[in-house]
Amino acid sequence: MSATPLGAAGPVRPEQPSERLKWIVTAVVAAAVLLSTATAGIRWDRLVTAPQDIAGIARLLFANISWERTGQLLLLMWESIAIAWLGTVIASVVAIPLAFFAAENLAGKVTVGVVRTILNILRAVPEIIIAIALIPIFGLTPVTGTIAIAIGSIGTLGKLNAEILETIDPGPVEAADAVGASRIERLRWGVLPQAMPEMAAFMLYRFEINIRVSSVLGLVGAGGIGSALAQYVQFRDFGSAGLALLIVILGTIAVDTLSSGVRRRIIAGPDRGVVEQNTSRAIAEQPV
Amino acid sequence: MGAGTAAPTSTKATSTRPKKPAPSRFSIVGSVAFLTLTLVTAWDWEYGVGLSLADLIDGLQRNNSPLQGLLDPDFSRIVADRSREAFLETLQMAVIGTVLGCAAALPLALLSTRIGAPNRAVYYLAKNVSNVIRSLPDLVWALLFVAALSVGTLPGIFALFFFSIAVTAKLTADTVDGIDTGPIEAARASGASHLQTLRTAIVPQILPAYTSWALYTFELNLRASAVLGFVGAGGIGSVINFHRGRGEWAEVWGIVVMFFLIVVVVERVSVTVRRRLL
Repeated sequence: MSATPLGAAGPVRPEQPSERLKWIVTAVVAAAVLLSTATAGIRWDRLVTAPQDIAGIARLLFANISWERTGQLLLLMWESIAIAWLGTVIASVVAIPLAFFAAENLAGKVTVGVVRTILNILRAVPEIIIAIALIPIFGLTPVTGTIAIAIGSIGTLGKLNAEILETIDPGPVEAADAVGASRIERLRWGVLPQAMPEMAAFMLYRFEINIRVSSVLGLVGAGGIGSALAQYVQFRDFGSAGLALLIVILGTIAVDTLSSGVRRRIIAGPDRGVVEQNTSRAIAEQPV
Repeated sequence: MGAGTAAPTSTKATSTRPKKPAPSRFSIVGSVAFLTLTLVTAWDWEYGVGLSLADLIDGLQRNNSPLQGLLDPDFSRIVADRSREAFLETLQMAVIGTVLGCAAALPLALLSTRIGAPNRAVYYLAKNVSNVIRSLPDLVWALLFVAALSVGTLPGIFALFFFSIAVTAKLTADTVDGIDTGPIEAARASGASHLQTLRTAIVPQILPAYTSWALYTFELNLRASAVLGFVGAGGIGSVINFHRGRGEWAEVWGIVVMFFLIVVVVERVSVTVRRRLL
């Protein structure tokens, strides 16, 4: 190590790390934005009046809310919550067994590859497009929304559950093998008890996301509060639209708070303070 | 060990298995709540969805033109001028919405954490703003901005802007909560102002994670922008919706399949970059 030269004035500062990468990234991003802005057919004249247009809509939505629809809209919000919950439960019922075939420590390489590809494809398609394909089967009913959410969530839940299974402690599995457990018994007693809490937490996490999905599925007629919201906006019944919006916001935040509290309790156990430091993945994941 | 001889509690020669622990109250209440909620929501009544196997069998026998179109998708649509333009528009909307949204999300994320906020009041205000923005999905934002600004790409960009704020602010705020507090103490000890502390002790620590979340948001936005057109907010979704309205399912699926192949490629690249960042 080079000692501080006695003659030098002041402390020696460490050299600045190279910032070239940072500048390259910044330049590329800036170029992409400028190019997009220049070529996208944006009506710039609209941008000028945009702030007052948006303020105008906000006033229309919230200035005189039509409270008389509260009961009806609360019921529709509950329908959205029911669609999200049931869809998530169905997805979990399918995704948990599938996850065993997608975990590298439990299944063969080929099986893992095939199952993961299927999960990735399911993950890529938005629920609203799945819902469109299901409408002829289930009609314009909440069942369409439920099944669309179930199919859409299998991809993510399967992948997350497989990742949980890959991080389990091999000890109990070896113990099960040592006492002569069959393949099923080995999974039941060696693997599942370890993975169950995190899987339950991830199910709730997905439920929180699906609340947001189910509140827009109504746009294509698949049940829930979305169809009412879209209709109010289209027919410019802004008083009712404002109320629907308010109910969506408050309902979503309420479900989030409740569900994330339960998730925390599942992972951290009854003594909250103790486990605060090593926050688990399942707690850290946020519905987005 | 001599435990067996010291305490022969039972005269029978059964193995001394430890007693199975009783399930905790939390797990009992949890299981009951889970089952009740599932039954209530599945039942066919005012408060349930009404799942029924008979309806499913009935529905599967019905003529399903959308699914038939999926078996024979028309890929030529994606090279048609109109879809290519719309796809480019989607990409532009996603880029602009993501970059502006993520830029706005960084200060909001910092203010909605205990370490980053200058005082309690700002912390609670920022946290609640972030929660409200996050409770509305992308399509609802699009619906509102289409109502305010009429159809086109502009409402789509606004919608993605708010959606990006929602996602990035939350994820980044969680990252800030988990950072090392050492540099902050060092900055304060050397007399840094709050802004200087943010600049020198907090932001450098979260920058890699923040960049990674921004990329993740871009993936989400690209995927979301495929459906924004359903409410008139521009992009490839408007073309999909156009063909859907005319019942041209082969065209719909051709575009959907091609678009999501591109999304998967973008996602692969983004995941690789994000792994390197973290």
